[in-house]
Parts: sequence; structure tokens; C-alpha cells
Amino acid sequence: MRKAMVLLVGLMAGVAFASPGAQDEHGGTGQEKEGEDVAGYILHHVSDSPEYEIEIPLSHDHKAIHLPQILIPFRDGACTPQQTDHGTVIPGLGAGCLDLSITKHTVMMWLAAVLLIGSLLLFSNRDKTKLVPRGTGANLFEMLVLFVRDELAIKNIGKEEGPRYTPYLLTAFFFILFMNLLGLFPWMATATGNIAVTCGLALCTFVLTQVAGIRAAGLGGYLAHLTGGVAPWLWPIMVPVEILGLFTKPFALTIRLFANMLAGHIVIFFLLGLIFMLGHPAVALVSVPFALGIYLLELFVAFVQAYVFTMLSALFIGMGVAMGHHGHGEHEHADHKETGHSHDHGKAHMLGS
Amino acid sequence: MAEKEPGKDTEGSELGETARQMRAAEPYIAAVWKLTGGAVVGVLGGYFLDKWLGTSPWFLLGLSLVGISVGFYGFLHEMARLGKRKR
Repeated sequence: MRKAMVLLVGLMAGVAFASPGAQDEHGGTGQEKEGEDVAGYILHHVSDSPEYEIEIPLSHDHKAIHLPQILIPFRDGACTPQQTDHGTVIPGLGAGCLDLSITKHTVMMWLAAVLLIGSLLLFSNRDKTKLVPRGTGANLFEMLVLFVRDELAIKNIGKEEGPRYTPYLLTAFFFILFMNLLGLFPWMATATGNIAVTCGLALCTFVLTQVAGIRAAGLGGYLAHLTGGVAPWLWPIMVPVEILGLFTKPFALTIRLFANMLAGHIVIFFLLGLIFMLGHPAVALVSVPFALGIYLLELFVAFVQAYVFTMLSALFIGMGVAMGHHGHGEHEHADHKETGHSHDHGKAHMLGS
Repeated sequence: MAEKEPGKDTEGSELGETARQMRAAEPYIAAVWKLTGGAVVGVLGGYFLDKWLGTSPWFLLGLSLVGISVGFYGFLHEMARLGKRKR
């Protein structure tokens, strides 16, 4: 313990020694420029890109693989690149150009899918006569699969409907986990640190939540909840409110996963960037162990975020399923005694916002 | 195995604590969304209608008031219904 304290004090002294040195060497403007460079470097590394960069260790060189650009114009000249203040920009869907280009994060998603299918084919127990898995990999996967089924699907959706949605929850869990873990390897990127990817995943959950609601309450019951249970002349305001409310859950899923994955990587990069911003190698004595600590935390976060996304997906699907069930809570049970109108309304409200 | 008590629904007993609490809270979350959503829809609807028709600020003012009122009505209606259910 005492040794650790001495080491920590030594590291702190190293930082204190490093900072004034950096001031003398570069001055204020130099440091600001360095800071901007570091920020630009970080943003470049965490954002999506049409080319795949492989940095060659111990050199300033890197190899860039240009990925195929696929642009589908809906009218002539819609996909012509335009010069703006931020460089050359390809027009978006609003301007009539559908951009289906392969990007760094798309490659990462494909890689995660290939690794996932490969590892599951390798470790799944294909011999149906032997139900006990053999080997570390098979046992690990069985443990995770059973965890998702028993602790997430059944605990949040229910014993009857849970197994129906387990395949989707397992797909989401393993796909997100593999994408999160891939980002921790050198030369790789975190696809879940891209809001488009997390939005796509959340949309899958959104569709299943609505399907669960329609299956449970019927199309009539489902549509009834969109009216908010108010008089028809108030529908022009209430229907948009209820429709908007449907999107709050996928929105939360999108932002939560995206922000968590992006933030961890930015923190690691900034801790390492401090060495260059403060301009003294002694800073590395502090920033590298801290970055290593955050890296290990990221390893944990990769599992936690896959778990949280799957758990919330199961919870939302379960709430959709509850539209058709009665008796989950005291008030739901009491609703049986009410009139037909409030019965439908009660079911409908389980989907809520 | 325990006998199912008459009149007591045990459906959903395998559900986890989080799922049960979330399902219990759902009607209240929906009620709060009605209150806030009404205002959001009114203000945004009014703003964009004004922008489209060039009538600023009349639709913004009018639809904001309507949205907030409908939101309040929806919220109170929902609360009254939940209160009735509890009794």
C-alpha cells in the first residue's frame, strides 16, 4: 500500500514537472494548436469513414483501403458532390440521393456478424443426443444463452411469450457484444459508437414492441391506445402526442448505447492525447495507467451495454405483450369490471409512451 | 405445489421485479407524457404551420394554448381513471 502511495505521489510529481516544461517549450498558442490536433485526431478515429485506415506501428505511416462508394440518385445529378465550408459533401436523401456506401463501421458490423456466426457454429452443440456442452467455449456460450433466455426474456416478457422473443434478444445481445468488443482491438472500430447503427438496432426493437402489442391486444386495441382515451374531437392533438410517445423508448435505446460506447473511447484517446497536449513524456506515467484502467472498464462496459440494451428491449417487448394480459397489477385486474371502452383503453395504455 | 387462490391472478408471477414495477408505473408515465406531449405537439405544430403559411405568431400562440389544454385534460382524465381503478 505504501509503495503504491509513493508511486502515485511520484506520478503526480511527474505531471507537475511536465506541465511547466510544456508551457516553456511551446507557449500558449502552441498548446492550443496541439489540443486542436488531438481533438481532430480523436474525432477522426471515432467517426465513420469511407476508407479503412491501418496504422503501421512505430512509424507515422498508414495504409488506407478505400471502400466502395454506392450512390443511388433518384433524379439526374442528385448525387453530385458539393463543396461546402466543411469540405466535399455528398447530398443526402432529402436532396434525392441514397447513399449506400460501404464504410468502416459497416465493415465492422460484417466482421462482427461473421465472427458471431463462426463462433456459434463452432461452439453450438450440434449433436442433439448429447445435451451437455463440452469445452470452455461451448459452456461459455450456453451460459450466456441461458442467461438471456431465463433472466432477460422470461423475467421481462413472461414464461409464455418470452421464448418467442428469445431468438431476437439473443441476436441483439451477441451482435452488440461482438461489435463492442471488436472496438477494443487495434486497427478496429466500434460500430456501436455510430448513432446510425444504434438507431437501426433500436428500430428493430421498436418494430417488435409494436408487433407484440398488436398480437396481444389486436389491431383494434392497439389503434385504440393511439387515441389516448379522449373524446374524438380531441384526437387531432392526442393522436400525434401518442404517436410521438411511441418513439421515446427507441430514442432512449439509441442514445444510451451510442453515448456510452463513444464516451469510453473518447476518454481513452484524451488520456493518451494529454501526453501530446502537455508536451512532456513524463505525462505518460500517469495517462497510460489511467487509459489502461479505462480500457479495462471499457471491456466491462462492452458486456454491460449489450446486457442493458437486451434487458430494455425485453422490458419494452414485455410491456407490449402486457397490452393483452390482465391481472399483472392490481389496477389491471380491477379493469375487468369496467366497461368495454375502458377495457380497451386499459390495455392500450400498457404500451403508453 | 401451491393452490391457485380463487380471485387472485398469479399470471406474470415469473416476472422480475423490474418488469413488474415498470408495468405498474406505465400508466403514470403515459399520463405524464400526455401532459408534456400535448404542449410539445401544440408548440411545434404551431411553429411549423406559421412558418409554412407565414402567419407568425398566431398559429404558434393558438396551437400552444390548445396543446397545453388538451395535455392537461388528457392528464387529468387519465389520473381520474387510474384513481377509479385503484378504488
